[in-house]
Amino acid sequence: MMKDRALDPRTKLIIVMSISSLSVFIREPKYLIAILVIALFVSKMMKSEIFMILKKLRRILSLFMAMVLIQSLFIKGGNPIIALGEITLLTDVGILRALEFLIRISIILLSASILMTSSSRELLQGLIEWRIPYEIAFMVSVGIRFLPLLREEIEDTLTAVQLRGIDMEKLTLKEKIHLYSNIFTPVVTGAILKSQSLSIAMESRGFRAYNHRTSYLKLRMKARDYLISSFSILVSILIACLYILR
Amino acid sequence: MAYIEARKMSFTYPKGKRPVINDISIKVFQKDITAITGHNGGGKTTLGKLLGGILKPLNGSVLICGRNSKDLSLGQIGKKIGYLFQNPSRQIFTSKVEEEILFISRLKKQPMTRAQREMEEILRFFDLYCKKDEYTFNLSYGEKQRLALGAILVNRPEFLILDEPTTGLDKLRKDTLSEYLIELNSKGVGMIIISHDMDFINTHASRRIEVEGGRIIYDER
Amino acid sequence: MISAVDIENLYFKYRGMEEYILGGIDLKIEQGEVLAIVGLSGNGKSTLCYALNGIIPNTLKGELRGNIKIFDQHVKDMNRAELASKIGVVFQDPDTQLFSPTVEDEIAFGPENLCLPREEIGARIDHVLKLTGMEAYRYENPNNLSGGEKQLIALGAVLSLEPNILVFDEAMAQIDDVGKERIKGVVKKLKDRGKTIIMIDHDFNNLDIAHRVVLLKKGKLYDFKGEL
Repeated sequence: MMKDRALDPRTKLIIVMSISSLSVFIREPKYLIAILVIALFVSKMMKSEIFMILKKLRRILSLFMAMVLIQSLFIKGGNPIIALGEITLLTDVGILRALEFLIRISIILLSASILMTSSSRELLQGLIEWRIPYEIAFMVSVGIRFLPLLREEIEDTLTAVQLRGIDMEKLTLKEKIHLYSNIFTPVVTGAILKSQSLSIAMESRGFRAYNHRTSYLKLRMKARDYLISSFSILVSILIACLYILR
Repeated sequence: MAYIEARKMSFTYPKGKRPVINDISIKVFQKDITAITGHNGGGKTTLGKLLGGILKPLNGSVLICGRNSKDLSLGQIGKKIGYLFQNPSRQIFTSKVEEEILFISRLKKQPMTRAQREMEEILRFFDLYCKKDEYTFNLSYGEKQRLALGAILVNRPEFLILDEPTTGLDKLRKDTLSEYLIELNSKGVGMIIISHDMDFINTHASRRIEVEGGRIIYDER
Repeated sequence: MISAVDIENLYFKYRGMEEYILGGIDLKIEQGEVLAIVGLSGNGKSTLCYALNGIIPNTLKGELRGNIKIFDQHVKDMNRAELASKIGVVFQDPDTQLFSPTVEDEIAFGPENLCLPREEIGARIDHVLKLTGMEAYRYENPNNLSGGEKQLIALGAVLSLEPNILVFDEAMAQIDDVGKERIKGVVKKLKDRGKTIIMIDHDFNNLDIAHRVVLLKKGKLYDFKGEL
């Protein structure tokens, strides 16, 4: 096989699960930064395409920043930094929390970039070998495959409705809601029809003919995989202990 | 004067490496039915969307009635150009047939008596009046396409761009579509038809453009 | 010799519909025959196709009467594995037939479902890629291929199940001329290898491969005389 030097997808799943559960569990910026550095290091080692993901996320960056800002504004503990008369706007704790949020999201994104170094078929096989029923695992991966198609469809529909002579900027909120509920119809019916023809095609090719199926793709956990998996679990437990006993 | 004019226009999709449209300059006239042909993946649809102002060129410019497409909102473009997408289901928004023609007027709070009259006229033109109370998802593919076309015509566009209008239509329904297009053209509506259906193009087009690898390799009237 | 397909007095209507979409169909197709079925949309072509490979009544429900036999075996008595390995269908829309991240995975999908041993699956992938002329695309994502190439992969994914009967349900309707020629080339090869082929189409240019053409109109079959 050409990909013999790569890690088993299950090893990657273990690494990602360790890193992301730590990032959810820990609430101390110092530790979070350490985990971020580890995640960055691992992701770099796996030659993941971090920049590709960041590029894709560029569009929702403003939304993201707004969330950070709102979060920092709404936390009222700690010492005020910016205040308007009696009303405290921003506190040091607020900034700290926003920072934590930012780091946490970055860690999760980095973890995702690690997973994306395997194809969805490999990850799927990893899950199946962990005794996840293959119908469920399969449906998830097909769903992911169809997301870009769905997005394209929504974009076309949005374009089509504006071309009917509607300027989105000039609509009131109520009109906008009305419009979106209309757009919802073709998108949902389209998705339903698509999933029906998809399931017909899959059944015609014998999907779920038996309770199990063989796999052409063979996954092999090598010594290195076991080593790295146990190492990442051990390190996570260690970090967790340090954090609790700090 | 050209209705749509492209000047040294290039376009690359955000994720793409190679340009899909490469330095195309072209003038399209309202009196013509212009066909854009070429193989799948040659850039036909992208060219159509650029000329229709839905996509904006990365380099160069597109002028629609003399105005740069970058300065026009989709809503403004829709009042001049009707664009029929490949899949009509994507541009049908309501559950009832008559609502499809009416809902824009309702949204814009225009007088409904006029909208009603217009709806009747359009549905009759496309032989859909007897189906006005039916649900849109029960329509056949050909009927959906005619309804989508009818809904576009509410704006009384001067120009139509049709992307693969014959896909999914059988011979009989193709002939029906032909009749409507000929009648619209005789009323002075200009057209671009994007298609790889050579029979259809040969019966309609007064000008044929072939694109390959993002360039125009053939252009004859 | 037993017929590849034997349909007797077949009636079908979808659940919730008033009228029968198939209204009394009798059809015999011999082994190795290439049959074309023409007809306008809405006259029951796809429905007939679903009835042939058991999608009706297993997945799509409705009222079914009459007999459908494949190699003298009733379709309603065959399980999904038997059906999939005897009759394969290529549908119209390439995008709803391909769902795997690579061409190789796509072609392996069917044989994996039938629990074939790994070595056998490997051999079939090689064979199918060679037959369709898509060897160079083995590790490509099907999403990035052209329409014609996608349909070749959809055909390959069906061929890896090694069915004796192949159905093309308007499989070339969305494909440009170059793609059509490539697909027709593969269909001709299959014809030469003695496969039974049913082509549902409304493009007369694709009918030259067929031994026999029948017309499906309002749920009934007629001899085709050049008019739809």
